[in-house]
Amino acid sequence: MALGDRTGTRLDTSLFLTCILLSLIALALPEGLRAPFASGLRRTVLFPLLTLERGSVRSAEHRVRLDALRAERDSLALRAHEAPELLAENARLRGLLALGGRLGHGFVTAEVLHQAGVSDGLTLVLSAGAADGVQVLAPVVAPAGLVGMVRTVDRRTSVALAWSHPDFRASAVVAGARVFGIVAARRGEAAGEVMELRGVPYRDQLVPGTPVVTSGLGGVFPRGIPLGTVAGALSESAGWERTYLLRPAVHPAEVSHVMILSRARTADTLTEAFADTPRP
Amino acid sequence: MTRATRLRLSAAVLLLLGLQYGLRPRLGDPRFAPDFALVALLLVALRVRPGAAAVAGFVVGLATDAVAPTAFGAAALAHTVTGYLAAWLKAFVVADNVAITALLVVAAAWLRDIVQVVAAHQLRGGGLLKQLFIYSPLAALSTGVAALLVFTVLRGWLAERAGARL
Repeated sequence: MALGDRTGTRLDTSLFLTCILLSLIALALPEGLRAPFASGLRRTVLFPLLTLERGSVRSAEHRVRLDALRAERDSLALRAHEAPELLAENARLRGLLALGGRLGHGFVTAEVLHQAGVSDGLTLVLSAGAADGVQVLAPVVAPAGLVGMVRTVDRRTSVALAWSHPDFRASAVVAGARVFGIVAARRGEAAGEVMELRGVPYRDQLVPGTPVVTSGLGGVFPRGIPLGTVAGALSESAGWERTYLLRPAVHPAEVSHVMILSRARTADTLTEAFADTPRP
Repeated sequence: MTRATRLRLSAAVLLLLGLQYGLRPRLGDPRFAPDFALVALLLVALRVRPGAAAVAGFVVGLATDAVAPTAFGAAALAHTVTGYLAAWLKAFVVADNVAITALLVVAAAWLRDIVQVVAAHQLRGGGLLKQLFIYSPLAALSTGVAALLVFTVLRGWLAERAGARL
């Protein structure tokens, strides 16, 4: 194709500018308009691709399970279990099973369908949707603690807002004390690395390692889901309140399986269900 | 482009989309796994006019936004710019060299991430630098390697009868 044909034609430029304009309009759309549009795409043209991805994730998971079963039968099971990746996968699944046993009812399990691009870890596509009983604002948890909450629900999939998203907030309380605050992702940090506990009264000082859990206030998250542990003080706002840095209990980008709690469990206290979770 | 080549190109794009959703989830950490959808976009962009490449980029970006709607429109913008520039740059690079084309893919993947991160406006400071100078280049490299393999395998199959190649 000649250089003259490829560059600078009015048609090419207008198509390019039109696409740019449409992208900017999409960026400026309010949440109420963009969510149904994205949901429509996921339910129609992208549905076969997401189904393929779900199948692939499940197949990979089955392969890992099959490997584990064979390894257990095999005299070399011990050595096979020493493989760190297999150990980690086993630990995750075991943790999920244990948490499921302790929760008893009111949850749906789902795989996380990680996507390409820089926004993975801020929002997560989950393999369970309205057909499985998932509702908007349902809490999403992993064995170690809170992952986020469901933002939009399709028939077979749903999108969760991870705690690392800039819009995420959760009412928090220091485990075993009556010290309340608001937890949010630390703005500007890479997804899933650190969170902040804001609005802690100035008189209350927290020592590093102190666990922080959801308070149950606000009507979204049940009480007692681990959020993270105090890593240190961040700032003091004019002698009025303190902000603490938290080491998160869960890194959303690393989660492969989650549990979506039903909205009916919002009023419950889940402290006991997460009592055995390892601290970060 | 002949009709037969167009059909083969469509088949290659479908294959790459299959790899994106069927193989990619098995390739380890999603932050560094190759982006076959971007390879498909560039495969098309390097063979069509810039305007058509921009439209293809917009479609791919919109699909990306739909499955990860953190900042809806950011991926559409980034893929539009990437597709358009790739098609435009095609006239200036050695088109018949697979290695150079793979390097172009690395640059395009990095550029795509930069535009997307800036448009999404959700990272700042150290997080932004870490994303742009550690995670994105590594992901771009893995995408470049995937592109090198794909282009090498499909090179003869997608070649025009007249001799034009990837």
